[in-house]
Amino acid sequence: MDDLTSDVMFEAFGKTLEEVFEASAEGMFSVICDIDKIKPEESLTIEVSAEDEKTLLYEFLSTLLTESEIKGLFLSRFRMKTERKNNQLIMRGNAFGEKMSPEKGGTVVKGVTYYGFKLEKTENGYRAQVAMDI
Amino acid sequence: MKGKLKKLSEYKWLISKELMKDMRADAIIYANKKLLDEVEEAAVQQLTNVACLPGILEPVLGMPDMHWGYGLPMGAVGAFDKENGVISSGCTGYDINCGVHMLKTDLMEDEVKPKIRELVNCLFANVPCGVGAHSKLRLNSRQLDKVLVTGAGWAVENGFGVKEDLNRLEENGCLKGADPAKISSQAMERGAPQLGTLGAGNHFLEVQIVDQIFDTGAAKVFGITEPGQITVMVHCGSRGLGHQVATDYLKIHESAAKKFGIKLPDPQLVCAPATSKEGMDYLAAMKAAANYAFCNRQIIAHWIRESFSQVFGKKWEEMGMDTIYDVAHNICKLEEHTVRGKKQQVYVHRKGSTRAFPPGHPEVPPLYRDIGQPVLIAGSMGTASYILVGTEKAMSDTFGSSCHGAGRSMSRRASLKKFRGEKIKQELEKAGKALRSTHPKILAEEAPDAYKDIDMVIQSVHGAGISKKVARVIPLGVAKG
Repeated sequence: MDDLTSDVMFEAFGKTLEEVFEASAEGMFSVICDIDKIKPEESLTIEVSAEDEKTLLYEFLSTLLTESEIKGLFLSRFRMKTERKNNQLIMRGNAFGEKMSPEKGGTVVKGVTYYGFKLEKTENGYRAQVAMDI
Repeated sequence: MKGKLKKLSEYKWLISKELMKDMRADAIIYANKKLLDEVEEAAVQQLTNVACLPGILEPVLGMPDMHWGYGLPMGAVGAFDKENGVISSGCTGYDINCGVHMLKTDLMEDEVKPKIRELVNCLFANVPCGVGAHSKLRLNSRQLDKVLVTGAGWAVENGFGVKEDLNRLEENGCLKGADPAKISSQAMERGAPQLGTLGAGNHFLEVQIVDQIFDTGAAKVFGITEPGQITVMVHCGSRGLGHQVATDYLKIHESAAKKFGIKLPDPQLVCAPATSKEGMDYLAAMKAAANYAFCNRQIIAHWIRESFSQVFGKKWEEMGMDTIYDVAHNICKLEEHTVRGKKQQVYVHRKGSTRAFPPGHPEVPPLYRDIGQPVLIAGSMGTASYILVGTEKAMSDTFGSSCHGAGRSMSRRASLKKFRGEKIKQELEKAGKALRSTHPKILAEEAPDAYKDIDMVIQSVHGAGISKKVARVIPLGVAKG
């Protein structure tokens, strides 16, 4: 979508909050690796919390980026669940993928940015817009 | 905003602070008309945003390779007063101490060309590149701490190079005041397995041929005596460790800006007062990440020497593979500059900008003090790169800064649509060049035509007098992530 000269911006859709989070994660990892070739051989657990949905999405993507690199995994599938505790929204679940290998690599995502960052409700659910520094 | 730029000279354009209520300083863009036309309106807007931050010193600078980036454009400089200004993780950006390291050799084109495929394959095998590439080194946390504090010194101490190399690196490859305690455990975990890796994207390793020499005197000091001579260039940064430091401190500076009531013209320009704990902590963490990058490039340079030895069956010393220099082009530094006729301490944020100190400056290595600091400019894949030197004019007009590279003119997505990686490879190989990458997509994303014209970028900084051309090099072999 909207072309940034040095970076990449994508949009993601979902009927539910979980779906749009999962679709956003797929969007990010399709830049990092050849996502269609990544098998769900290993998993990692993700849990993030925030006061609002938009911050939660930013935290979710940023944490996935960090954790996937620490664990050395390319991720391709995501199964998330939300819950609300006191004033906090929590997103937890599992991400699946395989050990990183440069042959299946794309490019390095240096960070998830707030540039043009959006998470909005639509008639059919949610739409997210995310720009990444690469 | 672009329509309101005032031409000061062929290479210099003013955005007056009178144009916007909140601008505290003028901004100046260094570029010829053609390059200026290529600069996005949004990037110009970003320059004016930086000019609104507290303690900004005049002028905010855009370089001829300037393009839209996160917060501050790539190819820009923002300098702040040490007492009343800010330190901004948003201005330095994600790739802390992304930079360029260059070696010369005494080999000539006719000796290297017949073996270029073998050499590039050897470099590709010896220097891990691409997303998820594993380093050959395994560092424990004590060793990593040492890297963060001593930078390239750690590399040399551990056999990756010689002491003389350190005399030829910006800051001798080590920023003083780095503090690993200011870095998160995630940053450390990301950094530990990646030291000695090139990365991906626009990072590359290139075997080059000296194509033109403009200043024979200065070139001779760098050990470059004639066209046809072979040089090697590495372009990379602080890898995941630096990206994590940036991510962590962008959040800290977001809170700090709120806490100290700093009005941000753009939420990406998060910052903290230069004298605050949040400002100082970032500086200590950023220096540690910068040292990691200096060390990373020094280790890679050592493997380059080893690769040449493997292919040509000679010791690297016999091939005259001395370091020319190593520059940081994404960094924040405390430097002394003359502002309105008075010497003062300044936090200079260079994002996609190279330091360009003049002859005689005490921070230029003694070896180069008569000619000025080497300014190494990496072109895009397949096009020329340059060696320049810093000038007095840079010191007086641009906080001792110059450009950093070609600068993108086309988005990666547009490049993917327009170019085919395989075709680019074939064309370069037809021209006698060797190219290795982890996959062809990266070649399309980094297609030479997706970048600005490097010769024009260099002509702009040379013409404006903020750097002086010494030599032009062209690629013979490239390894990419």
